[in-house]
Amino acid sequence: MTEDLAVAAPAPATVTDPRAGSFRVDAHHGEILQGVFVAGGRLRRGLVTLPCPLYSTRATFLPTEDSGTTVRPAWRTKARRAADLTLARLGHPVPGGLLDITSDIPLCRGFGSSTADVTSAIGAVLAATGRRLPPAEVGALAVEAETASDSLMYGGRAVVFAHREGEPIEDLGELMPLAVLGFGTSPGGRGVDTLELTPARYTSWEIEAFRPLRGLLRRAVADRDAGLLGRVATASTLLNQRHLPVPGLDGILAVARAAGAAGVQVAHSGDVAGLIFDATDAETPARLEFAAARLDVTETWQFETER
Amino acid sequence: MTLAAPVSRSVVEATELPRIIRVRPNFHVAAFGLMKLLPARFMLDRAEERGEVGPGTTVLETSSGTFGLGLAMVCRLRGYPLTIVGDPAIDAPLKRRLEHLGARVEICPEPSPVGGYQRARLDRLEELRAEYPNHWVPGQYSNPDNPRSYALVAEQLAETIGVPDCLVGAVGSGGSTSGTSSFLRMLVPELTLIGVDTQRSAIFGQPDGPRVLRGLGNSLVPPNVEHTGYDQVHWIGAAEAFAATRELYARHCLFMGPTSGAAFKVADWFARRNPDATVVALLPDEGYRYQDTVYSDEWLRAQGLAHAGAAEPYEVVAPNEPGGSWTWLNWGRRSLADAS
Repeated sequence: MTEDLAVAAPAPATVTDPRAGSFRVDAHHGEILQGVFVAGGRLRRGLVTLPCPLYSTRATFLPTEDSGTTVRPAWRTKARRAADLTLARLGHPVPGGLLDITSDIPLCRGFGSSTADVTSAIGAVLAATGRRLPPAEVGALAVEAETASDSLMYGGRAVVFAHREGEPIEDLGELMPLAVLGFGTSPGGRGVDTLELTPARYTSWEIEAFRPLRGLLRRAVADRDAGLLGRVATASTLLNQRHLPVPGLDGILAVARAAGAAGVQVAHSGDVAGLIFDATDAETPARLEFAAARLDVTETWQFETER
Repeated sequence: MTLAAPVSRSVVEATELPRIIRVRPNFHVAAFGLMKLLPARFMLDRAEERGEVGPGTTVLETSSGTFGLGLAMVCRLRGYPLTIVGDPAIDAPLKRRLEHLGARVEICPEPSPVGGYQRARLDRLEELRAEYPNHWVPGQYSNPDNPRSYALVAEQLAETIGVPDCLVGAVGSGGSTSGTSSFLRMLVPELTLIGVDTQRSAIFGQPDGPRVLRGLGNSLVPPNVEHTGYDQVHWIGAAEAFAATRELYARHCLFMGPTSGAAFKVADWFARRNPDATVVALLPDEGYRYQDTVYSDEWLRAQGLAHAGAAEPYEVVAPNEPGGSWTWLNWGRRSLADAS
């Protein structure tokens, strides 16, 4: 599935030099959980993303003798910044290079297009220079390049990620396979400017309420139980509804219940949402069809997280 | 797997959470050493963050039992002077324990004509507030940080059990049952919450009067009790609760106090009637305080409470409908006004 998607990605990278390194990063579909979590005796904002292999970004980096990185297309400046930061972090084994970004991830909708640019750029520089960095260092570089970052560098793992610091709070383990019916939650898919959003100010009760959500997510991942994970996603959606409201959420929840979905997840800084199903359940295809026919939305799509 | 448990920074951190024990396939208990440590610590943490408590602050509280003990431990470890206003339910050994922790204990000898000892204690507390310019009153019956502190218990239950179908607990301040259930219902909206009270407690609409079974029930209605959260209410008598406490020890080796016995008895009944439901009972404290009473056959006989009491509850349709020593009402998440 991975390779198929890479082939399906539009406009293949133009750099074909054998010295080039390339790296592909899948999109995500917003969050399974987003809130504040106790780590190291203090409260930190964090999130757990839902991987989405529908879209991806490939970055190719060709080392050159230039003093810095040139990116194509030129407007992907966060990716260029990430490449330069990575080169600096590695101690300049090469002075600069040419960075090509090819992506089919829709912008500003909660699919993590910006983090995919940045993370794939870091991966491409590492590939070209034959160096490695642990995910936590990739996360720190990504945050430096773009202020806040998602946890795409952890692939299919459920990681509670401090997205404003680029640090993992807790690695819960490998996600179980999920089938998702995705949909846009704003008319025309106009998107949301992530960096324009004010961080949610949670009440004292809400801050405490994230504790049991994290507790049940630990259990869900350990048991590979999509049903429990769905309850966490729904609870996170409801807790955050006050801060970035999903239009028509009551109707979405009603369809989820009627269709037997495990839960509802949303992009907390975007306008996509999804109904989550257990990908290993034989009844899931019928449930997806049932739900897709009843959702009152303009566009839907389906995907499975990688097994 | 490692055998080395993390080192706790204090006895409070080490003991504020319960041990989760499965006593039957569908029946778990959350057995606390001293449940009230959790809200006492949490309420003081939040008050310190808000700047309401600091060096030189005297803590004043009314309690007849374990909240006072939890508060005394937290205050001693942090160096805050503490005065507890209690009533004769604070027996001599508990009074000594509180005093050994540096607390000053004042006992109100007589109940008020209306509101009982609870009213008398609150009146005396008001006088003390005037005496100490720099004071802080935790106010466990109305402080929303009391129910909020139980998110930790909900997290522990979610992680260890998953999604319970039914939570059973004794109701005194409303903190543990209202708090734990409010957090669990984010994840399990269908959770059945059962409150365990005792006769002549005002919490769920019975006329106030003298109560033999203490540690649950109240002469006043605490604001922290969210009546609309409860699906069932059980009023249990002292004989049933004491016998159940002894049974909990004799059958499961769980040496707990009588509020635990009361919650266990009701949870046991629900778990038997609903074999497909995962039931959790909150057991608030250990039995050491009751060795000369609940755990003494002689004392039980002298009180006329040596019998096992009712084996089954009698269903009533109104809080004060007579029906025997153990009654239950299908409360149905009603307000107190709607039930009375």
